[in-house]
Amino acid sequence: MFRGGKRFYNESVPDRCSAWHRKQKGRADVNQLRKKAIALIAVVVLTAWMISACGSGGGSGSSASSASESAASSSASGGAGASPSGQPASISVTAWGDPVVQSVFAKTIDQFNESHQGSINAKLQIIPTDYDTKLTTMIAGNETPDVAQMESATLAYPLAEEGKFLDLRPFLEKDPDLKIEDLAPLHGYYSDNGELFGLNSERETFMLFYNVDMFKEAGLDVPPADPDDAWDWDTFVNVAKKLTIDQNGNDATSPNFDPKRIKQYGVDFGKWWGLWGNFVFSNGGDFVSQDGKSFGLSQPEATEALQKLADLINVHHVAPSPTQAKSLPGGVNSLKTKKVAMLLDGQWMNLQFGNAKMNYDIGALPKLKKPVTMVVSGMFTIFKSTRNPDASWQVLKALVNPESASELMVTGNWLPSKRDWYTDPQILQKWTNNAYHPKGFSGVIDSILNHSVPTPTAYVKNFNKIMDLVNPALDKVWLGETTAAEAMNQIEPKVMAVGIGRRDVKM
Amino acid sequence: MRRRRTVKFALLYLAAACLSCVFLLPFLWMLRSSFTELSQIFEVPPRWIPHPLRIENYKEALTFVPFPRYFLNTVLIVALCLIGALLTSSLAAFSFARIDWKGRGFWFGLLLSGMMLPGAVTLIPTFVAWQKLGFYNTFVPLIVPSWFGGGAYNIFLLRQFYLGIPRSLDEAAAMDGAGFFRIYRSVIVPLSRPALVVVALFCFLYNWNDFFGPLIYLKDASRFTLALGLQQFQGTYQTEWGLLMAASTVVILPCVIVFLIGQKSFIQGIALTGMKG
Amino acid sequence: MRNNARRNQICGLLFAGPAILGFVLFTLGPMVVSFVYSLTDYSVFKNALHFIGLRNYIRMFSGADPFFYKSLKATFLYVVMAVPCFIAFSFALAMLLNAKIKGVAFFRTVFYLPSIVPVVASAMIWMWMYNPDLGLINSLLKAVGLPTSLWLFSEKMVIPSIVFMGMWSTGGTMVIFLAGLKSIPEHYYEAVEIDGGSGWRKFIHITVPMMTPTIFFNTVMGLIGTFQVFSEPYILTNGGPNDASLFYVFYIWREAFRNSSMGYASALAWVLFVIILIFTVFIFKSSKWVYYEGEGKGA
Repeated sequence: MFRGGKRFYNESVPDRCSAWHRKQKGRADVNQLRKKAIALIAVVVLTAWMISACGSGGGSGSSASSASESAASSSASGGAGASPSGQPASISVTAWGDPVVQSVFAKTIDQFNESHQGSINAKLQIIPTDYDTKLTTMIAGNETPDVAQMESATLAYPLAEEGKFLDLRPFLEKDPDLKIEDLAPLHGYYSDNGELFGLNSERETFMLFYNVDMFKEAGLDVPPADPDDAWDWDTFVNVAKKLTIDQNGNDATSPNFDPKRIKQYGVDFGKWWGLWGNFVFSNGGDFVSQDGKSFGLSQPEATEALQKLADLINVHHVAPSPTQAKSLPGGVNSLKTKKVAMLLDGQWMNLQFGNAKMNYDIGALPKLKKPVTMVVSGMFTIFKSTRNPDASWQVLKALVNPESASELMVTGNWLPSKRDWYTDPQILQKWTNNAYHPKGFSGVIDSILNHSVPTPTAYVKNFNKIMDLVNPALDKVWLGETTAAEAMNQIEPKVMAVGIGRRDVKM
Repeated sequence: MRRRRTVKFALLYLAAACLSCVFLLPFLWMLRSSFTELSQIFEVPPRWIPHPLRIENYKEALTFVPFPRYFLNTVLIVALCLIGALLTSSLAAFSFARIDWKGRGFWFGLLLSGMMLPGAVTLIPTFVAWQKLGFYNTFVPLIVPSWFGGGAYNIFLLRQFYLGIPRSLDEAAAMDGAGFFRIYRSVIVPLSRPALVVVALFCFLYNWNDFFGPLIYLKDASRFTLALGLQQFQGTYQTEWGLLMAASTVVILPCVIVFLIGQKSFIQGIALTGMKG
Repeated sequence: MRNNARRNQICGLLFAGPAILGFVLFTLGPMVVSFVYSLTDYSVFKNALHFIGLRNYIRMFSGADPFFYKSLKATFLYVVMAVPCFIAFSFALAMLLNAKIKGVAFFRTVFYLPSIVPVVASAMIWMWMYNPDLGLINSLLKAVGLPTSLWLFSEKMVIPSIVFMGMWSTGGTMVIFLAGLKSIPEHYYEAVEIDGGSGWRKFIHITVPMMTPTIFFNTVMGLIGTFQVFSEPYILTNGGPNDASLFYVFYIWREAFRNSSMGYASALAWVLFVIILIFTVFIFKSSKWVYYEGEGKGA
């Protein structure tokens, strides 16, 4: 600055002025040019973004149509897996990252590749977290996998509605090893137009777990395992009361019972739809009316069921304060440490119970009007954009086959997808004769075969959006701040605004 | 006077010690769970001394996923990001703080505004663009942005620090004939060392622990980073907590070390000899 | 002078060049695209963009969306509580750590630890602490006879609970304050001592004014950050109870990736953008209180 200043004083004034003007004009020209250049670059970059982001949608559309053509032709010819060039068909598989299950999938894929050497090479991609987000970006960016595990409540139906999946029924019809009849009931997911787009490799259902010792000590009869003999609700509440004890040793049937100082609870249960849904169905209710036109949960059958559950916490004081669906995993511990006597939860808990090495058993869920349990499951799908539909089918078949994942059945992690695993006594021996499947498990088998209903995610339209309204309303019900009927009636108009509908599917 | 000093120190110690208890809890829980059997981890109240002590958690955790591989990947990414971010963000901050140019305020504001739009909705266009350029399943999308400014946060942070350095130092250097780059290199950078160390620290920690970027942009498990490897212990319905905690302890150890080293640089502060206040 | 202006222009652009280029390439482009999405009913899976104009925005503001206003309110409450708490707490911690006591390096690391520990571990600890029946906090309160709370399961207390939790992870802000404190030349304090000033005088006349650029930075960043709070609802509360902690960015993520409504989520995001922008501009404009040693004028 100072240097420039010195120079300033040495030059003559007129020279400086004209020089200054020239410089100004020069600078102005350069400035103009620069501004234009910047504007041009900005426009080019932005246009490039727009094209890339918007064009991807169109791109996957065209590839989908060409893929479906080739799918039609190759499934008609029933060709083998290898593509015309003779290279092994490369099939990409995505699954979520359950650590125990990961290694089983990896083994399945490895065994599959060995037995199909030269014709099919499957690549397993475990997505450790945020499965839906990652899969959404992959699809947006044209990196769609061939075979993908799908969550029925989130991505599956939006994708199915856009026709992104292959219909699996033709594959089942043509397949020599696997037929639809071989599959256990509630075997997969159907779209609005009746296409079967997902087959489940595992399913789960719900039951009553209990600490045998606590029942013995209290001198009470254990819960029946056979769903036909299931306790009715009042019996269940009574037993729970006898097993709920306060600090002074009084149980909940005693007049001196102090609900503020409880040291042992009779029962605990999860607060998500998977659990309470069982009781809605048991009471003859549903999430959506039979004709698909009205909201099922605000009907008396449903609100009665919900209220009975909430009363366990707030009226009878046999269940502990509400904990969220994502709360501390502690069900098994609360039974082991004798803080809770009974747990209403899903079949997968057998894994933890078995590992905890405690004296537990399984009973049927208490019934309201009739014994009913819900079956929930994930699924595997094949994207239409796959270049090798037949090879993809072979891979999917391997993943769905309980034989390849038998160790998961043994440890109580999964329930198998094939019917004979529930009906053939020899096979049953194989996977249920161990510490992870106590005596009462026979009731579960009966339940699956004879008393099960499908998950609402399969047939309730806009399931997720409706749950976004139902769950917060139920928070208040569990806390005892409103009744179930009030809560459901309050949200009914909002639910109707989201859109009520029912997929007419027979599973 | 002496007495007041000791009392003051004693109180300070007491306060620090009490606070430390709460601050240490998450770390202690993590450490103790890393030695605990899965079925015992969630007992409430927690059993702080695990019995039995399960050292196998560490062995199993470190072999469940290829940790040495992940470590190399992470070090590569973090090192490159660090250099790029330090360089480009300090240069940019210097420009915004010390050089008077037209449009400066506009561009600074625009840069800052980029932080105000939640990333969830820019994820898809960003991903699609990288994929179209052919960089899906590479480290490029994870490293390159650091070389282009390294984030408005760092630029803003450094700008604030630079604004706090007296202009007279710049002017003195200019008088000696220094151009902008000389001023930047000889005046600003040395004086803003605490701030640069902070930026380096944050950059390291952010990239070391970032799992989301690698999750989205990487496909092959062999290219995963440590943070993403940690996620593999977490399932949608089940988590191997013991293994996860063991692995987490190992993964954050470098962070603790880096922090210990880095925070020594805060102690120096600024030595402004010959400066009139 | 004009020579310098030209030189300034070139150098200014040059130094900031990579950052500006980076912004245009990696940030501006996707921002514009997301704005375009906000005018559609895009769901990522659909094959083409279907423009619906301002319908998304109308849906939000007309009340047809049952979550919009609730989410905004919850987020506002959080921001208003969190920003002052975080700033004050981390400033106090930094002051504490600035003292020349032995072992301060140990304490600094300890105070910073929660920011390094994986979010999952912190979440577990706080879930235990906040457990209404068996948690540490309620046990302590019961022991001294104070009323307990349902904390994370109470509509009224869930946001303060989350703010309190967040205070313990303000290691980053604390570190910045510490760096700022360390940059204050010693002889400023000595000057006050010579004049016979006490610790309080030093604090008011030296520390606070010299720290205003840092306070300003942390406030702006705190604002931008707290408006976009995500991990607590995601990991701990799922937006509950009864949507009391349905913070805005969690809501956006839910709409975008769980409910596959990217178009609507983009519109929500842009509304938040405008809100944050307004607040930030307001803070910038009213920042006459910031004292820059180097400039002698406000930001």
